[in-house]
Amino acid sequence: MPYTFPLGPYHPALEEPFKVKVQCQGEVIDSAVVEVGFSFRGIELVAQKRNWVEVITLIERVCGICSNTHAMTFCMAAETIAGIELPRRAAYIRTIIAELERLHSHLLWAGIGAEDIGFHSLFMEVFTLREKVMDTLEAISGNRVNYGMNCIGGVHRDIPDPTVYLPVLDELTRVLNEVVIPTFTQNPTAIARTRGVGPLTREQALEWAVVGPVARASGLDIDVRKDQPYLAYGELGFKSFVQEEGDVFARVVVRALEMLESVRLIREALLSLPAGPLKAVSGLPTIPVGEATIRTEAPRGEAFYYVASEGGNTPARVKIRTPSFVNIPAIEPMVIGQPLADLSIIQASVDPCISCTDR
Amino acid sequence: MAMLKTVLANLLQPSRTRAPADMPPVPQTYRGALVHDAGRCTACGTCAFVCAPKAISFTQVPGISVSWHFFIGQCSFCGLCEQNCPTHAISLETAVPGVMNNAAGDGLRLESIIALKPCTRCGAAHVPLPESAMGSQWSEEEKGYCPECRRWAASAKLRSAFIPAETATPAASPALEGAGHD
Repeated sequence: MPYTFPLGPYHPALEEPFKVKVQCQGEVIDSAVVEVGFSFRGIELVAQKRNWVEVITLIERVCGICSNTHAMTFCMAAETIAGIELPRRAAYIRTIIAELERLHSHLLWAGIGAEDIGFHSLFMEVFTLREKVMDTLEAISGNRVNYGMNCIGGVHRDIPDPTVYLPVLDELTRVLNEVVIPTFTQNPTAIARTRGVGPLTREQALEWAVVGPVARASGLDIDVRKDQPYLAYGELGFKSFVQEEGDVFARVVVRALEMLESVRLIREALLSLPAGPLKAVSGLPTIPVGEATIRTEAPRGEAFYYVASEGGNTPARVKIRTPSFVNIPAIEPMVIGQPLADLSIIQASVDPCISCTDR
Repeated sequence: MAMLKTVLANLLQPSRTRAPADMPPVPQTYRGALVHDAGRCTACGTCAFVCAPKAISFTQVPGISVSWHFFIGQCSFCGLCEQNCPTHAISLETAVPGVMNNAAGDGLRLESIIALKPCTRCGAAHVPLPESAMGSQWSEEEKGYCPECRRWAASAKLRSAFIPAETATPAASPALEGAGHD
């Protein structure tokens, strides 16, 4: 006899409210309905009532994990409208912060994923590693989250001595290569809980328009850093990783390889940090009439911003489309035919960020 | 056997949890307690303008003082007030911020009073500019002028540079013009 099982909104797997309502036939899931909107904050509307400086602080709070991406994308949109050219040093510092943030986001996800499959010792290992990334971010920006690095036309803080962060990167590469990646890809427990679980074919990935690591794990080679290079990505060179299988295992592998690529990007950016000013403008910015659309690659995929200005103190419109907004509905095709017990790791495998989605 | 080895190895190692006295270093960029220096503040209002959660506000007692107010319950420690302050009157120290009980009421509130001074020329009460903002372009006497009198003094200087003193009519001479602003 079929029955309906609600997972959430108070979640056993994530500390954020969203609901997956599944129809089950015995142990096997027949269909699923995803519901979001339990923590709506109306940031897009509030953004129209704050001036151009205040909005950056507000936009930074769209997401608790990838906060820098949002503030950075908004600043890039404002810079496009005002025709401000970003100083090269500022572009490199933004790239370093963005990649450190990606590392911390992917490590957070790897830890939560390990916990979801009951692998607590791996969770501890991953979170110890993540702590090193958080310490680096704190040393550079002064905060573990909400770094407050971006302003329109540049960055607020410098990286005075880039070489002091290189030992941390060596340690990250070592632990990722020796502990985290082998455990996820070779440990029988981890393989049994991830391989063949929650598949999303290439056709389904196109149909559900998924982005980021979820799309790359289903064989779609899309990455804004490669397709439309921004900041320093064009100069540093960028390699994207694609897996064809489309299951949870493929998503783990894609994120693991991306972490190593992020470490490489941070190392190269730190070593080739150009000299120059941090900001292109001084004082409070004035943004002329105009509009801009900007895409950046957030840790979870493509973030899209539309910003319109009517020349006043406040933006006329800030439209935000976050990667989780398109990735979360794709849980519906992933769980069909899967055991109920795998629901938790399948929905965690898209790395859903409810804070972004509900913004 | 492997487990026994791990247990023995861990027995010989110090604790992985830090002792309370073993504090991690605080980065120099850490945004902690907010400090306001009334001596440098010109009450221009930039900090209140850029403060997204509206934690900073100004009140005034006309003719006597302007007060800078800060409420920690609303502060998000973004550091924009420090970044944008033209006279560096605000700084976010590496010290731990004060008590923040809740956003509704009983957290830490700071008040910093900027006393108004009478203008040495016209007597109008005004916010004195800090020494660092005055620079060397004003004489000792002119440093006590209110903004209106400074504007008058600047235009008088400009005028005397263009019109030599001997050809100027008595009415245009700054010394004879009296205490008016225009």
